[in-house]
Amino acid sequence: MSENTVIELKHIDKHYGNLHVLKDVNLSIKKGEVVVIIGPSGSGKSTLCRTINRLEGIDSGEVLIEGEKLPDSGKELAKLRSRIGMVFQSFNLFAHKTILENVTIGPVEVLHMNKTEAEKEAMELLKRVGVASQANKVPAQLSGGQQQRVAIARSLAMHPIAMLFDEPTSALDPEMINEVLNVMTELAREGMTMVIVSHEMNFARRVADRVVFMADGELIEENTPEEFFEHPKTQRAKDFLDSIKK
Amino acid sequence: MSIGELLSVYGEKYLQGLLTTWELTIFSFIGAMIIGVIITVFRVCPIKPLRLFGEFYVQIFRNIPGAALLILLVYALPELDLILSYHSCVLTATTLIPASFCSEYLMSGINAIGIGQIEAARSIGMTFPLMMRKIVIPQAVRFSILPMTNLLIATMLTTSLASQVPLSPTDLTGVVSYINTRSVGGVTSFLISAFFYCITAVVIGQLGNLLDKKVRILR
Ligand SMILES: Nc1ncnc2c1ncn2[C@@H]1O[C@H](COP(=O)(O)OP(=O)(O)OP(=O)(O)O)[C@@H](O)[C@H]1O
Ligand SMILES: [Mg+2]
Repeated sequence: MSENTVIELKHIDKHYGNLHVLKDVNLSIKKGEVVVIIGPSGSGKSTLCRTINRLEGIDSGEVLIEGEKLPDSGKELAKLRSRIGMVFQSFNLFAHKTILENVTIGPVEVLHMNKTEAEKEAMELLKRVGVASQANKVPAQLSGGQQQRVAIARSLAMHPIAMLFDEPTSALDPEMINEVLNVMTELAREGMTMVIVSHEMNFARRVADRVVFMADGELIEENTPEEFFEHPKTQRAKDFLDSIKK
Repeated sequence: MSIGELLSVYGEKYLQGLLTTWELTIFSFIGAMIIGVIITVFRVCPIKPLRLFGEFYVQIFRNIPGAALLILLVYALPELDLILSYHSCVLTATTLIPASFCSEYLMSGINAIGIGQIEAARSIGMTFPLMMRKIVIPQAVRFSILPMTNLLIATMLTTSLASQVPLSPTDLTGVVSYINTRSVGGVTSFLISAFFYCITAVVIGQLGNLLDKKVRILR
C-alpha cells in the first residue's frame, strides 16, 4: 500500500442470502483521486459504496481507511465513519432540524466543536454550495437540488478525508442535476478524495480520474475515463456502454 | 338527591376527588413516558437481551387488565415481603400499563422516520445513544403527539382503579362510592364525576391538537 492510499478494499466478499453481491472485490483509492463506479442496475455498486463505511457489513475481506482496519462496530467504528462523508440518493436530511442545524449537528455533537464556531463554519459551507439564504428553513421547504447540496455541506462540515456519493443526482429533476454536479466538480477540483456511483456519463468523463466498471458483484474493468469510454476492453463493458447510448 | 343537594353536601369531596384524579394522572403519565422511552430504546437497541426484555414488557403490560394488575400488586407483592401503600399500588398499575402503549406509539413514530435519516446519522459518526437522543426520539415524539394525547386521556380514565382501594382523599370515582355508601346519590352522583372527567378530557384533547400543530414535522 502506498503512503497516499486513503481507502483500500481487500478481497471483499458479501452475500445477501444466496445472492453473491460482492465477489472478491479489490479497490484502492489514493488521496485526491476521483473514482466513478458505473455498471448495470443490481450489480452491487451501492453495496460496495456502503461497505466502505460499514453501513453494510461484509462476510470476509478487509476495509482499510488510511491503513487502519475498519472496526466491526462500536465507538471506534463511529469515529472512523465520522471521517468519511456520505451523500445519499434521497438526501436524508434530518427532517426536524433546520438547514443550519443539519450542518452543525455533526461538528457539535460528534466532534464536540463549539457551537458558535460550528455555525460560522456551517454558514460558510452553505454559502459555498449556494444555499446560505435557506439556513433557517427546514428540509421539506427546499427543492431536491437544494437539499442535496445541504447534504454535501453536512458531510463537508465533518472535514472528511474522503466522500462517498451513491447516485447523488438520481432522485433529482433534470433541471436540478447540474447544480449538484457543479458542486461536486468544484470539490473534485479542490482535491477531495471521492468515490461516486453515478449514471451521469458526461460527468464521469469530465471529473473522474478513474472509472470502475462493475457487473454481477465483480469489478470487471478499471481505466481512465478516456480509455474506458473510447476503448472498453471487455465485452460486458462494451455491451453496457452500447445499452446506455441507445 | 339532586345535583344541587349533592354539590352542597359533597362539593368539597368532589373537588378533592378531582384533584386526586389529576394528581394520579399527571404522575402516572410522566412515569409512563419515562418508562415508555426506555422500553422503546431497549426495543430498537443492538443488544438482543434488552430487545427481548422490551418486547416482553410490552406484551405483558399491554395485555393485562388494570384491575388484575392492581390486585396482584395489593395481594401478591406482600408475599414477596414488598408492601406498597395503596396509593403506590394504584400509581404503579396506572403507570406500567400506559408505558407499554407509550412504547407502541413511539415505535410507530420511529417507523415513520425512515431508514435514510438513521443511515445519515450513522454516516456522520453518531453512536447509537447519540442518534437516539438527537434524531430518533425527538422525531418519534413529535410524530406521536396525537396518540399520546389519547393515551393521557386513557391514563386518566384508568386512574379510576383508585376507587377499588381505600384511599384518602379518594379519586373522582371513589367519591361516587363514598357518597353511595352514605346516602342515595344514584346516577346523579356518577354524572357529576363523569362531567369532571369529560371536561378534563376535552381540555387535554384541545391542548394536544395545539401542540401537534406547533411541533409537527413538515414533510
Ligand atoms: N438488503 C438487501 N437484502 C437483500 N438483497 C439486497 C439488499 N440490498 C441489495 N440487495 C440486492 O443486491 C444486489 C445489488 O444491489 P445494489 O443496490 O448494490 O445494486 P446497484 O448496483 O446499486 O443497483 P442500482 O443501480 O439499481 O442502484 C441487487 O440484486 C439487490 O437486489
Ligand atoms: Mg444503487
